[in-house]
This record gives sequence, structure tokens and C-alpha cells, in this order.
Amino acid sequence: MNNNVKAVRAYRRNLSIALGLILLVFVLIPVFVKSPYVLNVFVLIFYMSTLSMAWNLLGGMTGQNSLGHAAYMGLGAYASCLLITKAGANPWLSAIFAMVVVGLVAGVIFYPCFILRGPYFTLVSIAFGEAMRQFIINSSFFGRASGVGLPFGKDSWLDFRFASKVPYYYVGLVMLLGIYLLMKKIERSRMGYALRTIREDEDAAAAIGINPTRYKVMAVVVSAMVAALVGFFYASYIRYIDPELMTQAKSTESVLPAVVGGAAYVEGPLVGGLIMIPLSEFLRARFSAMLPGINMLMYAVVLITVIRFRPTGILGWYMRSKVKEFIDVKLLKKPPVEVFEAVELEKNRGKGA
Amino acid sequence: MLKVEGLRAGYGAINILWDISFEVREGEVVAILGSNGAGKTTMVRAVTGMVRPSAGSVNFNGEELAKKSSRYILDKGIVQVPEGRQIFTEMTVLENLEMGAFNKPTREVFARNLETAYGRFPKLKERAKQAAGTLSGGEQQMLAVARALIGMPRLLILDEPSLGLAPNIVDDILDVASSMARNDGIAVLLVEQDITKALACADRGYVIENGRIALQGAAGELATNEHVKKAYLGI
Repeated sequence: MNNNVKAVRAYRRNLSIALGLILLVFVLIPVFVKSPYVLNVFVLIFYMSTLSMAWNLLGGMTGQNSLGHAAYMGLGAYASCLLITKAGANPWLSAIFAMVVVGLVAGVIFYPCFILRGPYFTLVSIAFGEAMRQFIINSSFFGRASGVGLPFGKDSWLDFRFASKVPYYYVGLVMLLGIYLLMKKIERSRMGYALRTIREDEDAAAAIGINPTRYKVMAVVVSAMVAALVGFFYASYIRYIDPELMTQAKSTESVLPAVVGGAAYVEGPLVGGLIMIPLSEFLRARFSAMLPGINMLMYAVVLITVIRFRPTGILGWYMRSKVKEFIDVKLLKKPPVEVFEAVELEKNRGKGA
Repeated sequence: MLKVEGLRAGYGAINILWDISFEVREGEVVAILGSNGAGKTTMVRAVTGMVRPSAGSVNFNGEELAKKSSRYILDKGIVQVPEGRQIFTEMTVLENLEMGAFNKPTREVFARNLETAYGRFPKLKERAKQAAGTLSGGEQQMLAVARALIGMPRLLILDEPSLGLAPNIVDDILDVASSMARNDGIAVLLVEQDITKALACADRGYVIENGRIALQGAAGELATNEHVKKAYLGI
């Protein structure tokens, strides 16, 4: 084993240790932080970042900007709640049911509109979200404008029902990590490559044998299913849902972490969520009592500043920054590119290629 | 090898191709000529399944492909270099080439085909890790051709390779195309506006006007044809 291989292994080990430490911090937070308010902010970060990752599969990876993700989340929440309250189903089973139903609805609705190109998808997604909200407001089966509540009772894992925020914290964290790994897997799969080529040039994708419509439908179905999972989590956590969950403003909120964090990266929504959600909560807690609405104004200023000066998001900036260089080279001891290439070459030679 | 008969196609209610018939034989370079709007690109899209023909037949080695999907047609060995290059600018050169082997039959022999493509275009090997959008126009066109070669064409369709390129680079690309036809037995269908260059490289040619084949013949004959001279060469 030569020095190059050793250097690459050492770097990979350092990277795993660093990521492990970050994860450990998140695992230990509820042990030391007892304030329900702070824990609530973390739960909010977890599910909003997950929702934003769902958006990013379409908006970031495929280049199809959806402005209706609150609708998938809302439909998932309703599907789960109604199955629990009307059919007495187990909440965990209701989650699977909600994902399947919402995935099917999204596939059926968007298949015809993906044959068209350009902004039509965005327009249909807005209309879809509002149509679903109006439908629920006017349907007594869905509880009209007064919404649906989930029963309270004693703590139970089977019923996914707790008085404390700690279990939701951990379930939310697991959901976030699971969906992150899924997105990472999709990015590196054939589907991920197909989606990226579609984002860049649909004609060229078709010329090399990729069916753009098929892959866009696959992306919207997966994205809607993840949003429905978030809806289930939200409903079980808040234990009450109403059509307000599906407003246009909520759809926009699902876009922000991805765009601020960096939509070109799977990690973008995580970074964006970790920064924007505490900021939004802080501004609300600190300033909204002084002058109603001032917190939203300040939030908007931050947003406009980021988008104006860092259009590729925080990660887009980080990837080319001195900070990354410092962390990579000094802290993680990342070897230069040539070393990776040499190792890669060695490995391929071993295969006889 | 490829025999197209009575091909008719268009977009929605608008018909572009009325009656297109032509033939490409093994190891041959065939030029399809015509001015802007004559229907050349629509013809390419109809042959490769990106536009569904409303009538006619596309026969490839005895198999009817007129109603097949573009993926199926690609797997049979009809690979195109689309008009305007259409490479994936934000992906690296290597990733672009990998995308040429997206479908199964070509994926398994990707490593070997990659070496062949690098052999033809050594510049691309040097730039493998670079984003494709940072290549020059000529290099991008080479990348588009190399990506098509990775797809193991039996018939390679080049749609306006001269578009926006310096004349000497066009020559390089046409040289590669004709050497593939002569040495590797790949048939080449060259769709061009630049009639002089196309006829210099092709064996035979067809002239499309208003969605119909107006003229056909050996390249030398077409180059001296009075109508072609008047209408396309301005002499």
C-alpha cells in the first residue's frame, strides 16, 4: 500500500469523524437542552428541511420549479389524519398510505403537463395547490375550514403520540437523515444523471435516449411522496391540521431553505434550513411584539440580500471559499486532486481495465 | 441499411415533411442538403423517433422503426449528434461521455468505447474533468460527436455540424465522419446547409425543398448540377 492510498484513507477517516461529531451534537442536544421552545425550533428545522429536500429533487436537480409543495404535504397530512380518525388505522401505516396516495395523485395530475415544457409545470403546481386547498375547504369529509384533529392520550410509540417534544425530535432527525441519504442515492443513480441532463437540455437528453417525460414524472412522484411523509410527521406532531397548511405562503416556505442553502446541492436545503428557520423564529420572538410584521420585513431583507449577492446559495459560495479550503486542507488533511486520481488509476489497473 | 420511404411528419396541425424517400448503405456518407426551413431537422427527428411520423416507413436493416420510441431506435444503432451541439454544459466532459452510454447495450462496453473516442479526439481526454461549457465551440462539437460514438452507432446522423464553427474545425469533424465510414463501416448521414463542404465529403446526396426530395444523385453530379449551383451556391 503506497502513500497515496494512505493519504486518501486518512482523509476519509477524518471526514467520517467530523461528520460523526456533528451528528453526535444533534443526538445529544435534547439531553442538555430542556426548553420545549428550543426543541420545537429544531423539530421545525428537521421537517421543513426535509420538505425542502423534496422540493429540491424537482427544483434543484431536475430544474422544474414547483410552487405547490405545501399541497403534497397537506394532502399527506389529511390522508394520514383521516385514515387514523375515520378508520382507526395505526399512524405508521397511515404514513405509508398517505405517501402512496399522494404519489399517485401527483403522477396522474402532472403526467399530462410534463409533456409541455417551460413554465407550465410551475403554473400548474400553483393551481394544483390552490385547487386542493379550495377542495378541502368545501368538503365536509375533510372537515371543511375547521380542519381535523388527532386524538390526544397517553404517550405511545405505537400511536406516535407524546406529550414531550423529545421523541418528535429524534423521529424528525431520523426522517431528515433518511431522506438525505435517499436524495444522495438518487443523485448518484442513473435517475440522478437523467434528471440533471433534463435540467440542462431536454432535447439533448432525448437525443441520447432519455425519456424526459418519464423521468420528470418519476421525480415529481418521489418528491410528492417525501412531502406527504413530512405531512404525516407534521400532523402527528401538531395533532391538528387545517387548510391553512396548504396556502401559497407555505409552498414558498418550502422553497426557501433550498434556494438559500444552494439548490444545486443535495445538502443545500439542510444548510438553508439550519440557518433560515432559527433566524425566522428569532426575528418573530424578538421583534414581532414591537411592531407587527417587522419580523417578516427583516426576514425579507435577509433573503433578498442572500439571493442578490449569493445567487448560488450559501453552499455555492462555500464551495469556492477560503473557509472550505481551510477546513479541507488544514483540519481534514485532504490530499490534492492528483493523489485521488493516482489512487483511482491504481484501483482500475487492479481490475484489469 | 437505412431505407426511408414516403416519410411524412410535422408538429401538431402543421405538416413539415410531405414525402421523403432516401437510402443510406453501409460504409457510405450521404448528405441531406437544404436551406433553412426545408425540413432537414424535422427529418432527423422523425428518423430518430423524436417526432412521430404520420405516414411512411423508416426501415433499418429490415426492421420497421417508424413508430418506435427514440430509445429503441437508439439501441438499434441510429445515433444522432443533434443540431446546435446540445452538450450538457454544467457537467464535466467525462460525465457528458458517460451520458452517451446511458442505455444498457452500450453501458457494459463503456470503458473500451471511451478509449476509442479519446483516441479520435485526444483533446477531450486532457479536458475530461473540465465542465463542458468551458470548452471552445469546436471542442464542444467534438464532444457531441464523441458522445454519439460512445453510443456505438451503426448509422451516425450529424445535424448541421458546421453551425457556428470555424471552417478548419468543420473540416476536421467531417474528416472524422468520412474516416469512420471508410474504415469502420459506420454509415454517416450528414445533414447540412454548407453544400460545398458536405458534397466534398459525401458519396451521394439528396436535396430537400419544402419537405420533399427535389434532387438526388452522386455527390459529384450534384455539385455540378445547374439548379444546385443557382439556388444554393449562387453561381
